[in-house]
Amino acid sequence: MRVRFWGVRGSVPVPGPGTVRYGGNTSCVEVESPAGTRVIIDAGTGLRRLGKQLVKGEFAEGKGQAHILISHTHWDHIQGLPFFAPLYQAGNKLTIYARKRDDLRLRTVLAGQAEAPFFPVAFEEARADLDFSELPDGQRFAIADIKVTTARLNHPYVATAYALQVGGRKVAYVSDTAPFEQILFGEEFIAKAPAPGTVLSHTDQVKLAAMRDDVVRLCEGADLVIYDTMFTDADYQRVPHFGHSRPMDAIAICQQAGVRRLALFHHAPERSDDEVDKMRDEARVLAAAQAPGLEVLAAFEGLDIGLTAAARPAIQ
Amino acid sequence: MEVTFWGVRGSIPAPGPGTVRYGGNTACVSVRLQSGDLLIFDLGTGARNLGNALLEGPFGKGQGQATVLLSLTQWDHIQGFPFFTPFYVAGNRFTVYGGTNHTTELEAILEKQMAAQYFPVQTYRNMPAAISLQSLPVENTFTVGSATITAVRRDPGPLGATTYRIEDAGKSLAYTGHGACQPGDARSALMKDVDVLIHECSFSHEDWLRYPDRGLSSVDQAVNCATAAGAAKLVLFHYDQDYTDAEVDALLSRGQHLAKERGSDLQIAAAAERQTLTV
Repeated sequence: MRVRFWGVRGSVPVPGPGTVRYGGNTSCVEVESPAGTRVIIDAGTGLRRLGKQLVKGEFAEGKGQAHILISHTHWDHIQGLPFFAPLYQAGNKLTIYARKRDDLRLRTVLAGQAEAPFFPVAFEEARADLDFSELPDGQRFAIADIKVTTARLNHPYVATAYALQVGGRKVAYVSDTAPFEQILFGEEFIAKAPAPGTVLSHTDQVKLAAMRDDVVRLCEGADLVIYDTMFTDADYQRVPHFGHSRPMDAIAICQQAGVRRLALFHHAPERSDDEVDKMRDEARVLAAAQAPGLEVLAAFEGLDIGLTAAARPAIQ
Repeated sequence: MEVTFWGVRGSIPAPGPGTVRYGGNTACVSVRLQSGDLLIFDLGTGARNLGNALLEGPFGKGQGQATVLLSLTQWDHIQGFPFFTPFYVAGNRFTVYGGTNHTTELEAILEKQMAAQYFPVQTYRNMPAAISLQSLPVENTFTVGSATITAVRRDPGPLGATTYRIEDAGKSLAYTGHGACQPGDARSALMKDVDVLIHECSFSHEDWLRYPDRGLSSVDQAVNCATAAGAAKLVLFHYDQDYTDAEVDALLSRGQHLAKERGSDLQIAAAAERQTLTV
């Protein structure tokens, strides 16, 4: 299984000299199985460049097939879709997956992005064969040779984590999520951080603990976990109600799940390359103390990881 | 007038090593008037950097005031709206003008971008600053501080691109964010004899021939507009997302070559992020 990063940024694309090394495009990760099954996780602006790459091959002739898993439909996870070249080539087959909602159909949400007066080409004009698959929480399914498991995340409007397994290898994508403490996110807009000393209701605490258990299970034994670590601890203390995690949260989950490698992901737009380096270095120190054997890296555009059947360290 | 470019790219932000010199953010240009008032053309992703710069002044204390002039409501002209930090400071006051027939239409457009399925803030009313939306009829003249602003929309309806002309302290500036003028049309008349014309210039002539129906301009068309209007200086911006810095350099050379060939003394520049121009 190969994992390639096309966009590693959260919130909004950030071009400029300060982000050249890690990249300024929003979330997009490509996973390819040894049999050639292609899964794309999230459709941020990184998807535009992936699309340009794909139309150098079979997608140019309308013979391409890809499966796009959407974590949630906030802009930074879908804004690349109208600029995805394979969408406009007849014959290509694209299946788009996201969490099932009671209030809105997935197709409606994605088509809304391509409506006038926002975008000149309507979704209806996409020539590829488009299929939409709405997933109930906790859904398990298969995409050809890839086994997919899902878990609900703690984020405004609710997001979904995915784990992909093939040939004994496993990669998990956990973005976007807040830690499973302090706030249980749902549909409501949360304007402020909870007042100091606020205690969550017992029901909410139970729900968060169960959600966290599901995420640990999703990551269990993974070769690679890609985790929303947008926040430093100082960021989290200031805006816990924005729904993002710190490296320490990701490390704790990975430690419990016996994960081999953690990719810090969904870097904050204001984080310069040097600051991402610093977060990674600090996370490595923390991991060495709390999760021995866990390798920590910070995802960057162009990073290509091959997960081979090499021997794995024993799970702690 | 002091003009600063914060986003000079069209369609979609284009981060990467190939766009560092001109910048990869989508459309946003600020204008400081002689009276000290602030105008902002468009709120593409460049608005994020503008907003952060503004927070160091009165906008950081909730004492800022600005007028936003949208030339279009396609993504590359509004996608910085949710990320414009001065909107999140109570006390700041903004009027946002856009070319729709009714303010309710402008509101529906901007609110859709903020909706819960796309952005956690859910509505611009959850932003603490006072934001007043104002639709612009097909032609309109109004004043802000020391400036007189004239707005002309190409087509009626929310898709119509609006061109602005600013007169301030005896100097003039025109901003057109989408599409070239046609000889004799109202937009062309609006640009007449301006000191500086900021003109959308997405494509080389060759690329324009591949995408003639996108409603975007070539450098040749931008030069034609500027020379027909008798502009003193043309500033190119809104480059295609695939153009590297070297390709933008080539647009500029092509424009300069065309002007020279015609014996015009039109000055031409290519806008770059964070560059300032005094009119």
